[in-house]
Amino acid sequence: MADRFINQSLMNKLFFGAFALVATIPFGAPLSSAAEIPPAKIDLKAFPATEVDDVVVPVPSEVFNALDKLGTVAWRSELRQSFTKQRDGRPQIALLLGSVIADGFLAVQAQDGERVKEIGRSVLELARDINVREVVLAHCNSIIEAADRRDWKMVRKELDSTQQDVRRAMDQLKDQELSQLVSIGGWIRGTEALTALVLRDFSADRAELLSQPQLVGLFGRQLDGMSPRMKGHTLVGKIRAGLGEARPLINQDAAISKTTVERLNVITRGLVKAISPGDS
Amino acid sequence: MKTCRILLFSLLALATSLPLLATVDDALSFALEAMTPYVKEGFTTREDTWGGDLPAGTSKAISQQLFKGNEYWFTMGSDVKGATISVHVYDREGNLVEAEAWQRDTFAGALVKPKRTGSYFLIVKIEKSPLERTPWGLVYAYR
Repeated sequence: MADRFINQSLMNKLFFGAFALVATIPFGAPLSSAAEIPPAKIDLKAFPATEVDDVVVPVPSEVFNALDKLGTVAWRSELRQSFTKQRDGRPQIALLLGSVIADGFLAVQAQDGERVKEIGRSVLELARDINVREVVLAHCNSIIEAADRRDWKMVRKELDSTQQDVRRAMDQLKDQELSQLVSIGGWIRGTEALTALVLRDFSADRAELLSQPQLVGLFGRQLDGMSPRMKGHTLVGKIRAGLGEARPLINQDAAISKTTVERLNVITRGLVKAISPGDS
Repeated sequence: MKTCRILLFSLLALATSLPLLATVDDALSFALEAMTPYVKEGFTTREDTWGGDLPAGTSKAISQQLFKGNEYWFTMGSDVKGATISVHVYDREGNLVEAEAWQRDTFAGALVKPKRTGSYFLIVKIEKSPLERTPWGLVYAYR
């Protein structure tokens, strides 16, 4: 059976069943005596290409969390106050949905409960426009309730669940390309905010958070592999060109300079505007 | 009568395909359970997970983007009695980078505090198993 990524939401019922079975097992115990000691160094080339799974796309809060530890961050300054009402087909809606969810993570960092709730409602509208409203309804309600309680951890969890369930629903509808666009839209918006925040108080440590060649490579491969019809969509073409321009800037071993961050900010800001024209 | 036979065969086909699917799902639920103590310590579990099956004695590499400043727990599980599994984390030069690791029969975990932002490799292995192929699940959480 092929290996696969699996959505955790499906696991909830099983989770509680398993809990009863294994509640007494002492997790976190040191490496057991029967365990093999792992080699300190391995040859990664020994793993054939087919044995290396694709990367899981981190949610924006992973990188935001890391940035937060590097000093005070002006999260509020990067929050969008409204989202476009313009709709230009399912690819644009999928990209916009991913970018709005990324804004949700940003609003959590800013601890802006009202904005989180507005974003929850925007996600629901976009999900309706792309015929997956039922999939996200419970999550959006949970986001709004958790924002009222200022339970930021729960909001993060529900935003992640929302994105995964939307993508899973699209996968089930054989809309894998749209599913990929949701992730790409989220990454673009997250990177736009990240670059802007890094530029506000530049340091090499902050800039290093942009060292994500694997992700940009993954998105490039996904876009290159899309159907001619999808690649022919004007907005998808812009995204493809923009990420193509960003790839060599991120795909480097050397430290990421301020000039590079500025360039990445211009590219991603332009892409966000293309996805969501007329935002404020 | 013909319709009944088709229906019967369809049900049989469905029934025979369910056990393996269920065990990968069960493996994931075990991996999630192994994550419970770390969630209590403030780690947030991701919704994206990995799962599959492997023959005993074989391993698989999974590439993953990690960010310096965060801490990551990876926990792996399998529901096959008598199996032993492991997960370890290496940087892209192939150096073992985990700060902590544990292994207990059908559960394993590894903690990483990345010194650099970039690509890392998770090596999952079925050390031994009574089955020809052993389902496994892997989840991660960050803080």
